[in-house]
Amino acid sequence: MYIYGWMIFISPLIGFLLTLIIGKYYRKWSGAIASFFIFLAFVFSVITYFTVIKHPIYNSYTWFYNIDFGIYIDNLAIVMAIMVSFVSLMIHLFAIYYMKDDPNKHVYFAETALFTAGMLGLVISSNLVLLFLFWELVGLCSYLLIGFWFFKPNATAAAKKAFIVTRVGDLSFIIGMSILYYSLINVTKDPLSIPYLISNASSIAVAIGKVRLGIIAIFILGAAIGKSAQFPLHVWIPDAMEGPTTVSALIHAATMVTAGVYLVARLFQVFLYAAPFAMYAVAIVGSFTALYAGIVGLVVNDVKRILAYSTISQLGYMLAAIGLAPIIGGVAVSLGMFHLVSHAIFKALLFMSAGAFLVAMMDLRDAKQMGGLWKRMPITTTLFFIGSLALVAFPGTAGYFSKDPIIFASYNYFTGSPSVSGFLPFLFLMIGSLLTTLYTFRMFFLVAVGKPRSTLAEKAKDPPLLALLPLIVLSIFALILGVWQAPFYSFVKPTLDLASYTVSVPTAPVYITTMPIILLAIGFFIDLYIYGFEKWKTWDISKSWYYKLVKNKFYIDVLYTRIISERVILPLSAAFSGFENSYNASVNRLGSDTVSTGSYFRRLQSGVFENYVAVLIIAAIVIFIIIEIVELM
Amino acid sequence: MLAFDILIISIIFGIAAFFTGRYAKETASILSGVLLILIAAFSIMRFSSYSRGFVSQYSITISNSIGLYFSVGVSGLTDALLILTGIVMLIAILITDREYGSTFFGLEMLVEVGLIGLLISRDFLFFYIFWELVLVPVYFMIGRYGRDNKDSISLKFFVYTHIGSVFILLSIFTLYSYSITYLGYYTFEIGPLMGIVHSLPAFELGFVLFGFFFGFLVKMPSFPIHSWLPDSYYSAPYPATVILAGAISMMGGYGLFGILMEAYSAIPLWVLYFLAALGIISIIYFALTAMFQRNIKKMMAFASASAMGFVTLSFAASLIESAGSYYSVKLIEASGGMFQIVAHGLIMALVFSALYYISRNTKTDSVYGLGGIYREAPMLSSFALIGFLASLGLPGFAGFIGEFSIVVGVFQAISWYIFFVIFGMIITASYHIWTAQRSLYGPYNESLGFIRDVRAGEFLILIFLVLVIFLFGIYPNLIFHNLVNYANSIFGVIS
Repeated sequence: MYIYGWMIFISPLIGFLLTLIIGKYYRKWSGAIASFFIFLAFVFSVITYFTVIKHPIYNSYTWFYNIDFGIYIDNLAIVMAIMVSFVSLMIHLFAIYYMKDDPNKHVYFAETALFTAGMLGLVISSNLVLLFLFWELVGLCSYLLIGFWFFKPNATAAAKKAFIVTRVGDLSFIIGMSILYYSLINVTKDPLSIPYLISNASSIAVAIGKVRLGIIAIFILGAAIGKSAQFPLHVWIPDAMEGPTTVSALIHAATMVTAGVYLVARLFQVFLYAAPFAMYAVAIVGSFTALYAGIVGLVVNDVKRILAYSTISQLGYMLAAIGLAPIIGGVAVSLGMFHLVSHAIFKALLFMSAGAFLVAMMDLRDAKQMGGLWKRMPITTTLFFIGSLALVAFPGTAGYFSKDPIIFASYNYFTGSPSVSGFLPFLFLMIGSLLTTLYTFRMFFLVAVGKPRSTLAEKAKDPPLLALLPLIVLSIFALILGVWQAPFYSFVKPTLDLASYTVSVPTAPVYITTMPIILLAIGFFIDLYIYGFEKWKTWDISKSWYYKLVKNKFYIDVLYTRIISERVILPLSAAFSGFENSYNASVNRLGSDTVSTGSYFRRLQSGVFENYVAVLIIAAIVIFIIIEIVELM
Repeated sequence: MLAFDILIISIIFGIAAFFTGRYAKETASILSGVLLILIAAFSIMRFSSYSRGFVSQYSITISNSIGLYFSVGVSGLTDALLILTGIVMLIAILITDREYGSTFFGLEMLVEVGLIGLLISRDFLFFYIFWELVLVPVYFMIGRYGRDNKDSISLKFFVYTHIGSVFILLSIFTLYSYSITYLGYYTFEIGPLMGIVHSLPAFELGFVLFGFFFGFLVKMPSFPIHSWLPDSYYSAPYPATVILAGAISMMGGYGLFGILMEAYSAIPLWVLYFLAALGIISIIYFALTAMFQRNIKKMMAFASASAMGFVTLSFAASLIESAGSYYSVKLIEASGGMFQIVAHGLIMALVFSALYYISRNTKTDSVYGLGGIYREAPMLSSFALIGFLASLGLPGFAGFIGEFSIVVGVFQAISWYIFFVIFGMIITASYHIWTAQRSLYGPYNESLGFIRDVRAGEFLILIFLVLVIFLFGIYPNLIFHNLVNYANSIFGVIS
């Protein structure tokens, strides 16, 4: 039975190899081969699902020393595996259309297959070290894919930035594992095994102390912040838009940024039983990022970057949901994971329809150059509209069933919290909800209504219906996913040491539950006024300080590139290198002085190799004879 | 006995390689390939069920009265390093330009003789002879075939590393002269001599330890006795650079883990903390210096030294950690350090052989001289990228297993100073990725003209290295298990 579980990530790996080898000679088949193996991964995930509903799968072997490798598939992992393989399959199918003219498309499809394999392996691995291996594989593939159009300097720079920024988070992960390993080595044989950690979290907290477990949790959260692009390591993701749009869809929906949230959900018990500051950090980082990215998203004109900021913001919601656990209990994971799944679906939809726009717009991503696309590309724009509705949590769509419960839960967190600090997540998430509406409809109105603002937009046409089929499938899910809200919540609830418990959809007083809908309406009408009726053309706020502040992303990017890397690291490097040069020169001078005094012996150095060998051999023989004489005496 | 046979065969091969004339490259490749196969067969026969200590021990009496025996023995560590030697030397020979003539190939085979000899010797005098035997051919390789001021650079290399060797020799003689006092007979055997180190008088103890540490750390090389490194790596022809990075620095690591670790109880704690500090400083100092280099070869020279900083750190940290309740941490720390030596050698062989093809095909190895070569030579750039990624410690490649084991165990010894190590790793990632972005990707530097991609044979060389690195990265237990057993037998407690 285990073999089906292993095949979940092995089949895309085979797909990677075959796509690379066969695709080299038969370019046009590469997309189909990759898609087929992703489809296999999906099939294996579904087969495994029927085993997992009976009991979790755990199968592991020794990797090196006391570190294991293996698979651990429980409800949480299988839900994630099905989501990843399904969304990735849809994106692969659309990419066959989107990448049809690229000369290197076999490399593209091989890398996306590897990307998917990495993510699926991450989801089902049973040991933190193996998880970390896949974690980095995902990072590597994102690096390769963001820089896929290697001849664009922006693309390679963005790829570099993505790799280095996420690497900072990854090394935080290593520190976390280091402390965990050393703390637990006397408690258990296999300290980094995930099933062990999550089923014994409360006794671990007793054994090594809640504070130390909290510190470990904070370092692991650091890794999640890097991967899931949370504040303050979010800077890589808007730049990562330089890659092909289908890559952005993969990164944002299925294979990369969800890994951070998944890691926190995976180790939920560790966070929960650690000192309370760990969970509070999760809640604050998540909710603050939701707010921050929403604000920055308001002033961006690049369609893909708006979507990128919305991803950062929505990931903040997921993380915040998990962080609410100390008050609202185990349902927190269910809330976060359901939003993760629904976000994956509608964000993949949004990105791929944006990709269809960009094919028509010759990759011109400025929303202010578009306009009027609803008339010219009706099907694509309708799909884009459905995605936008889900994003703003319009009642009835998937987003409504996944995001609004998080806001209600944060209200419960606020009322149940002993201190006033519990108010912050609720405040941030509520304002974030208004901001989501504002930036989403701003983008939509700029793209879809009014008159075309460029000749490209005038000539835009829908892609063939066959290419849009994956988008249509996703849009159906974006509309109806809410049906599974309650079953999903009880399916992925984490096992806690307490007796079995039931989870329910969070409720709140009616003035709280209607609030997001009111904010949605307010946001819609503001956008309709400004952007629907094109009032923005007469505005000029570009000189005002608050516009500059937001436009420069609160100077976080400047802090990293201008201050930390250019004013700290580079001068440090220059200083070390300068020291190295002068140190080397002084050693050389010492050497040359010695040599000039020794030049008296220069006559002995003939420089002919054979002479040296002769001397060497004669000397060896003489020594040998002396030894033998001593022996004889 | 088998190990001794391999040494004899390598000596015969080494001499033979000098006289092969026109077919020098083919002969040398075949001979070193045969040696690699012999080493592999030996490893499978003797080390698939290795449990502790030294196997394949054998001793020839040279002189009873002065206690001179040629005794050999192979431990889990030396076996791993023999495999590394076999692979690195084969690669070095395969990437040698055939125009260098048979002398160069003979020198390379001579290096291999020296390396095999010093690894399997269990006798200090022969250990030292082979140790020196490695230096001489490398000196000639740089001095005859190098570039830019090669005469003074090769001389510097020789004098610098030779000073280190002299200190080792002095330590050996000190130990030898004390062997009659503590053992009752004169001997050069490594095992008994390292066993008496802890009972030496204070001054002699300090002298012996200083000599060994100085000699081994020069080879690693460790800050601040590394000055031979940048010039030699830069000036040496690429095969010699592969040998320097893959084999010469390995000698330093072997000195620490294979020789000095046997006297671990004699090393004072403050020395260990000093060593750990040197390791951390090496990691950061070389990483930051590498970041500022504009020549990829020089940059990777510093990257190599930075990676060897992990070995110094792991040696010190594993000895600092107590043998009591944290025994497992101690073991993984030491084994990680030993694994890092192997991984580093293989990865540097890959990096420098990929760089060799790049610089041969483009006539440059500066970051700004290249640019966007992925367009013209996708295979070659991919191999270079894999080399960079492996070198920065990406999981899936061998380097990760070593660095991870070291970092995961190091917290117990140095606690929050771990942040410096992590800082070094971030810098390492940055400059590798920056170099890849500047030299391999981006717009094509049209002044380079047409670049040829790798040929089929060159592809096979590179893919072989990639597969070996990958194999050790995903199935480290091929040698990791033996390293743990070796460390366990040295520390003398059964876990």
